[in-house]
Amino acid sequence: MDKGKLLLIPLTLALIFAIKPYYGGEITIRLNEPTSFTLNTANYSNLIFYSLIYDNFFYLKKNGEIFSNVFQEYRYDAGSKTLSLTVKDNLSFSNGKPLTARNIQVSLKIFMNSDLFAASKLSKTVKNVRVNENQVRIELLADNPDILSLLTAPELVVLAENEMSFSGMFFPHEWEKNHHLTLKANPFYAGGRTYLDKVKITFSESTPPDLFLANPNQFKENFREFDSGIFQNIYLCFLQNDMGQNTKIALFTLLKRFNEATGNKYKELRTLTSDEESPVSIQIKTMSPQKTASILKHSEIKLYILASLSNLEKDLAAYLKNSNFKIETLFIDDSQLMAFLNSAAIQYLLIDKIFQKKVPAEEKISRILKESSFNQFNARYLRMLSELDEVKFSNSQELLMEQIARISEAIVNDGIIFPLFQKNYSLYIHKVWPAIEIDYYGRPLLQKVSKNND
Amino acid sequence: MKKVICSLLLLFLYGNNVFGQQSAEALVMESTAFLKAFFINRFDVNVAVARFENDSELTDTAMQKIYQMLISRLENEKNIHIADLLINFSNGRGEFNLGRADDLHFLLGLKLIQNKSKTGLGLTIFSRLQDKIVAIKYFEKALSKGEMDFLNTRNFSFSELGFSKLLEFESKKNLMDIQSLAGSDGRDQYFFYFPDEIVIYLASNMRLEKYLQFKLAWTRPIYPVLHYEGKLLLLQMNQGLVLTAGNNFSPYAKVLTFRNSQWQEIQKIDFVPCKYLILNQNPYLVGARYDEGRNYFKDKIYFMPFSDPADRAGIYEKKATPALALDFSVQEGQLQAVHLIDRNYNYHLFTSEFAEQFPLPEKKGASLAALGGAWLAVSDYTRTSDQLFFYDIQNGGQRLVYSEKIPGEIQFISAGVWQNIRGFWTGVRQERDGLERFMVQFWGKRDGQR
Repeated sequence: MDKGKLLLIPLTLALIFAIKPYYGGEITIRLNEPTSFTLNTANYSNLIFYSLIYDNFFYLKKNGEIFSNVFQEYRYDAGSKTLSLTVKDNLSFSNGKPLTARNIQVSLKIFMNSDLFAASKLSKTVKNVRVNENQVRIELLADNPDILSLLTAPELVVLAENEMSFSGMFFPHEWEKNHHLTLKANPFYAGGRTYLDKVKITFSESTPPDLFLANPNQFKENFREFDSGIFQNIYLCFLQNDMGQNTKIALFTLLKRFNEATGNKYKELRTLTSDEESPVSIQIKTMSPQKTASILKHSEIKLYILASLSNLEKDLAAYLKNSNFKIETLFIDDSQLMAFLNSAAIQYLLIDKIFQKKVPAEEKISRILKESSFNQFNARYLRMLSELDEVKFSNSQELLMEQIARISEAIVNDGIIFPLFQKNYSLYIHKVWPAIEIDYYGRPLLQKVSKNND
Repeated sequence: MKKVICSLLLLFLYGNNVFGQQSAEALVMESTAFLKAFFINRFDVNVAVARFENDSELTDTAMQKIYQMLISRLENEKNIHIADLLINFSNGRGEFNLGRADDLHFLLGLKLIQNKSKTGLGLTIFSRLQDKIVAIKYFEKALSKGEMDFLNTRNFSFSELGFSKLLEFESKKNLMDIQSLAGSDGRDQYFFYFPDEIVIYLASNMRLEKYLQFKLAWTRPIYPVLHYEGKLLLLQMNQGLVLTAGNNFSPYAKVLTFRNSQWQEIQKIDFVPCKYLILNQNPYLVGARYDEGRNYFKDKIYFMPFSDPADRAGIYEKKATPALALDFSVQEGQLQAVHLIDRNYNYHLFTSEFAEQFPLPEKKGASLAALGGAWLAVSDYTRTSDQLFFYDIQNGGQRLVYSEKIPGEIQFISAGVWQNIRGFWTGVRQERDGLERFMVQFWGKRDGQR
């Protein structure tokens, strides 16, 4: 190392630890390209992207600390079973329009009506949500001192009435499709103006990013690696109950082969949650290439894929083209999926789910059953979920594992969902950036990230 | 024999004076004697050192000591008026404020030279009226290693006589500024400026007693901040007591007057007033605008005529540089200089005409404040070891006289008065065992009566 560089290190450290932090600069993050600015936290990349433009009601740090930027006070009264949230004065969205308690109430109701496990858990707890001036009062059906932790769900964000108005640290500024998206610092951000002026979200490999997601244990030289604490599972779902078992297995086999042909980017998944924690291993026997071909060659399959998996689009299209099967891939948003559910249009669906590693297995299996059985959810499943709730309180690990196994077997044997792959992520941050804090959900907290100004 | 013994005893007793006069001091004494002789038949001459270079083995610190010794001796000469224009010593060169060189009759040039084992001091006298060098003198002495080491040690003064911490107490977080005012009953009132309110305290012996507080109802647009910054100004005008309060989260500063026993808002102005001063016999509010939500001022200084607080006409602006800290040194109501710290933590000095003095890359800081035209306090900019530096700016120069280490991080400095002693208030954030505290300190010279 030359003398100049040696001198630069103490100077750089001095500036990083300057009493008055430096405002300005840009960070480049490589993520998957979003389909729109409408909140969609289906995968890890999206989870990070939307956390930049929408502010959460509450944030949960890795150490369990909960904090909020929008509320100046939050108080739970066990007597009245009411959580009171007092919104800070004079808050605004990114376009300068007022952010009020009414926006909080509406955002909360939108979240509770969404088809998410965390949302249904909250809505089962809440009796009503009322607004009184700058205060939102959430009345509960039963005493629940842990109510605040239910409000830390990453999907519970502050939404504006206008679609092009944002509550997050940054707001979209410029979008060059297939290339990059620039976000600018939101001058009205409730948590206080960020040190960074801009975030560049790049979708291509061409620009070297400062922050990106990749498989663990790579890029040791120039990057710091953070365990994101989450994993992503990919499942093949069958949305109609009159579909032939052979076609299901053939399509499953084809997708397994696709992973092999594209360099095994994903880890094989033999359970519904993760192989390490699941009490059962699901063995779905794949077919020979000849049998797969004979089953699929006369089929006309429309494989719907959630937009959160759009990164597969190019490789999958090329693979299917080479295989000469009549399989059409269609990428759809969550919102479109809901509209199609009651028609017979969707038969085959490829979905992904992200899970926090720390979340108990019973919670993950509940979520899979509720969120992935779609229109085939029935009374038997409801009963199994109730039984799961009961054994949770029995303090018997054995009974709990048995019930998880029972649910897993039921939905796989019913032909509703087949587990395909799993991907573990690490978050890589270039060493030129000072330590960036990661929250419980594996999202980098960029608010106090400052680039040194040397 | 007795005579010999007696002489030897005398030599031992007075040995220090006979043989041991410090060589640096001898150099200074001989230079002073030469200058005294040169100016002996001249009266009321304005003299200043305008150049000081060092080619010796001595450091910038030693140069500063030699300079101080010379200036203090020349200050005792009755027929000359010596001006201390020193701003900084860096890389073997002294930097001097020559913004007011027109007032000088003679300029002195000094040079330290190493000649084998001896250190020489070269002295040049330049007559500004004759526009030529009128005298040159060279002195030489052998400086021992011990004396050199002593000269190179960083201590310029006795801290016991300098600025010391006269008061310290804990305050609510996010305090942005403190200003004081002599009350009609002789008790000083202290105004503490928080983001949402102003709390007024009365001095009671060595304590502050809360007297009054009032809310500052800021309205949209509000730019939420991570770090609160703000300036408070108190003015005793013909119309009564006027207060201005500006910050980095509202684009408007409030102007309030004290009427009917309460503070009433009378006007909004779109910059943050920092000082009230007289320019061309007219009173002005001078200040700058913060970049919204951030911790620095934009690059313009605003001047607003302020004889009538309700009148906003006639604002004009001057270009400066974006600043983390900004203050104006004022003597007898007149602007003397503008001091600022830019976004790279570099200190800048502008003349009253807004001409920037030569850059001072060695001088860095985070916060600063000027006490009239006498003292400038500057804080360090690193978190790990904060310091407070006190510079003498009396003659337009800038001589570091005292420095103090501060546990914590100085958030703001403002000039003020405590118990009739003029000095500086500092707001210091401290963190211990994961707990954050905000401390208020007052730094003053015990002889610094107002």
